Amino acid sequence: MAPPMFESRHSARASHLPHRPKRVIIASTLAVLIALLIAGLFANILVTAASTTGGTLRTDIWHLVRMTSIQAGLTTVLSIAIGIALAWALNRLRFFGRDLVIGVFAAAIVTPGIVVAFGMLSIWGRSGWINSATTYLFGESIGNLAFGLWGIIFAHLILDATFAARILLERLDAIPAARLKIGQSLGLSPWQRFTIIDWPAIRGSVPGLAAVIFLLAFTSFPIVLLLGGGPANQTLEVAIFAAVRQQFDLLGAVHLALVQILVCSLVILAAAARPPVPISTGVSTGQNWHDRGPARLLQWGVLGLGIAGFLLPLLAVIFDGVVADLADVLTRPTFWRAATTSVVIGLSSAALTLILALGLGLGRAASARRTLRLGLGLPVFAYLAVPAVVLSLGFFLSVRNLGIAPAEAAPIVVIIANALLALPFASATLGPPLEGLVQNKAKLIRSLGLNSWQQLRYIELPLLRREVGVVLALAFCFSFGDLGVIALFGTQDFQTLPLMMYRALGSYRSDDAAVIAALLLVATILAFIALPRLFERLLDARS
Amino acid sequence: MLVLEDLRFAYPEQVESYAFTMEARASEITAISGTSGSGKSTLLDLIGGFAVASDGSLSLDGEDLLPLPPEGRPLSLLLQSESLFEHLTVARNVALGLPNADRKAKQQIGEALEQVGLEGLEDRRAAALSGGQKQRVALARTLLRDKRLLLLDEPFSALDEETRAATRQLVRSLTRQQNWITILVSHNADDVRALADRHYVIRDKRLEQIPVEPIARSS
Repeated sequence: MAPPMFESRHSARASHLPHRPKRVIIASTLAVLIALLIAGLFANILVTAASTTGGTLRTDIWHLVRMTSIQAGLTTVLSIAIGIALAWALNRLRFFGRDLVIGVFAAAIVTPGIVVAFGMLSIWGRSGWINSATTYLFGESIGNLAFGLWGIIFAHLILDATFAARILLERLDAIPAARLKIGQSLGLSPWQRFTIIDWPAIRGSVPGLAAVIFLLAFTSFPIVLLLGGGPANQTLEVAIFAAVRQQFDLLGAVHLALVQILVCSLVILAAAARPPVPISTGVSTGQNWHDRGPARLLQWGVLGLGIAGFLLPLLAVIFDGVVADLADVLTRPTFWRAATTSVVIGLSSAALTLILALGLGLGRAASARRTLRLGLGLPVFAYLAVPAVVLSLGFFLSVRNLGIAPAEAAPIVVIIANALLALPFASATLGPPLEGLVQNKAKLIRSLGLNSWQQLRYIELPLLRREVGVVLALAFCFSFGDLGVIALFGTQDFQTLPLMMYRALGSYRSDDAAVIAALLLVATILAFIALPRLFERLLDARS
Repeated sequence: MLVLEDLRFAYPEQVESYAFTMEARASEITAISGTSGSGKSTLLDLIGGFAVASDGSLSLDGEDLLPLPPEGRPLSLLLQSESLFEHLTVARNVALGLPNADRKAKQQIGEALEQVGLEGLEDRRAAALSGGQKQRVALARTLLRDKRLLLLDEPFSALDEETRAATRQLVRSLTRQQNWITILVSHNADDVRALADRHYVIRDKRLEQIPVEPIARSS
């Protein structure tokens, strides 16, 4: 007889799912722990706001909200537009190195913001490549184009437009071959093809993607910190950091954090209120329909500009790192201490992220009850409502209220905070294939009488090895390149590479910063490429 | 007449290539059958231009079709599913069969829909139609395109028996009336018996003509 939990009328799901109560209990426990932690941090922010009477609010909140919204809004609109154009071009064109270009675009999501900001300075800054060229050619420079609103937006576009392109390209590549055949046999023009075949395939993804990009831009920290160029272009996230670390204005920081949470929650609610749109997945095999004439020229133009816009700043980072005094930085003990701290924190956060994502995902996939499944999915989105600096502020206040020096709690806090920050991306990577796998193999698993461990060991882990590797790579890279959390907790004795780089920039040691930026970039991209392959092989060999 | 002469194609890493030779005539339905994976859809892809032949010839009334891209070949396609763009209305789907949307278009669409028994459904979204209705809309579009070749890839397999029989009848009568050269790929023996004027089977990557069973003429 089926256990009571599966006896509801909720769905046909229940009738064939393997009975895994322990998975549901573990997932529920994790979800409650995460929810309690977030609630505790949030409560600390609120209590501090209510009890602090001595501080004064020295910041114009509405100016910050307006600036942050304008910056995030422009970033979102332009990222989606450029992302669509790039995805369209990549979907149509076949050329040597196409897979490499797509792979590099995929790495945009993990490229540290501080590295991109540095790349912008290398190209568009006062002593950057563009100014050097104009001074050499015309005898005068065109000024610093990296700072200010458009510098911030351009840096965001490097990360977010390529991220959008990667997601939208997957949708275009998944258009069924049969639909393409019909369209081609009807002789649709490039414009008709886009409006009749492409747009319906991608439009369902645009609102969710826009919401994610808006939130990423709204809560962007290192790029605004480095390229903001002063209070005029400051955003809420940077203002919170400045309030805590520079002005020691906790009340101001708490007010700003509350406003930040409110705006982010509104965006999430608006995005979540839209009914989900079914999307095609997989890769269509019938793609040999190439546009001709002006459309093809336009595709090459878009792709060329996209590659140049994305790669130039990153190439500049590597070039500047190589021509700076690499050996000098590499022989310093402080560098190796920071590098070791970064790697240890990155690996620990990645392991914790995987445990959380797998624990929640397995329980969710084993559960038939809709409300329980919803409940297990909610804590995952903690980061979207409570961004990095706010989360760090919550931790900072909690640690202080417990009478612990922030420096002492720093390692644990940075690991937990980074794991929570990576959790939405990890769950988005692992959740859907895990659900699909459990659904598709449920009858087979039950008929073979496999227990929970056998199901994990012989079916789920081997079949999801790629996704497990991707989750570890994403979480490691996010944590490795993070500046938002470490900025509040870092000390001279406890610093990561991004923090060391930020401090080097702050004290005008740009050569040091250049070397660290180049190493950060190379290490992040290598980890992003190597970790999934490593785990794919590891789990494959053991299965 | 559509003529394939030793039309060859091989997928990457495939040692032996397909080699297709056959004839299909106007006003006739030529059925192609074979086991799963025998190459039925590959044959349609070659005729449609979606796969590029490595050797051999393909001609329609003496005109070489091989240099033409799919959109340049005089053909219409009807598939098991995905024949329509489901987010568009019936009228918009049918209008894609017209080279230009002019003032006559609305009348032509109405007439085409009437011919397939779907008059009055112009403004309905394709997604809201039944499987049989969708195939009829695709046939209405084919009527407007007025191309010589009609390629059918398992077009009845998602339909119930009654709808299936009615749609088969419609395909048969339109082929006669429009003088189409219709190629039907199907693994369903009933469809082949009911429709085929000529019948080829794919065996060992070659086409082999076999006699049409008597029931085909009477249905």
